[in-house]
Amino acid sequence: MEKPQEIPWVLLVYKIPREPTSSRATIWRKLKRLGALLLHDAVWVLPATPWTREQFQWLAVEIGELEGEAYLWESHLLLNGQADALMHQFQARADIAYQEILNELEQDDADLIALSRKYQQVRAQDYFHSELGIHVRERLMGARGGFAS
Amino acid sequence: MKWVTWEQVGVDRMACAWLITKYIDRDAEFLFVPAGQKTLPEGAEPFDIPGVRLSHHRGHCTFYTMLREYDLRDPVLQRIARVVDEADTVQDVMLEPAAAGLDVICRGIRLVSPDDQVALERGSLIYDALYAQLHVEAPEG
Repeated sequence: MEKPQEIPWVLLVYKIPREPTSSRATIWRKLKRLGALLLHDAVWVLPATPWTREQFQWLAVEIGELEGEAYLWESHLLLNGQADALMHQFQARADIAYQEILNELEQDDADLIALSRKYQQVRAQDYFHSELGIHVRERLMGARGGFAS
Repeated sequence: MKWVTWEQVGVDRMACAWLITKYIDRDAEFLFVPAGQKTLPEGAEPFDIPGVRLSHHRGHCTFYTMLREYDLRDPVLQRIARVVDEADTVQDVMLEPAAAGLDVICRGIRLVSPDDQVALERGSLIYDALYAQLHVEAPEG
């Protein structure tokens, strides 16, 4: 992986009319679903990839159509250590969600179908490939019924 | 006629090109410009580029917009639009299990194709197949 300080980030700043509240909620849910981090209640950030650029681009278009205004940037962090810290924030969030899956897997009546679906969702937002994710995947494979392979 | 879109086609643009050739313009010719290029070739209809008529609208993919703009009401096409929506954009409701796989396959098609033109041609088989299979299943709209 590239050095943290070389990671490009995409930033989205937007405002959207207070009403209707459903528009605000839709955009919020989509940002959550993308796994973007909200910094200081102001800027939404994701590591820049062709996919995240494209998703933010279409989201900015949608915000415009909802009578809002969006600015989209791509940038690098300049201060020492900040890229590391931001990367760790993404990893920590993924690890918390992975740990929840592991805890639920301990239960006797663990719902494997729901947990595998949750794993897929967490994996989609795990932009820095947390090692815990590999562990969760192995545990889910091991929890399968039927013949051991 | 001529149609233009950005380079590096994916799930939505392969679907659109398939739709154009099958339902809108049998003799369609596709042109490609680098992503973000401001000037577009004259006389070509742009699609899946931010801000143009045939693009994402209200959180829906360009394929969905094209069905509306060209008044195509086939329920199987509507169902494909739902699949492409979920494959190409962030949706808060996910109902189509085929979506995630379709996205991966279309990206892969671009990777194994020498250029965008060939990727569109190869992608059309995927959409023929998707149409045929969804047609066999009861259309759920």
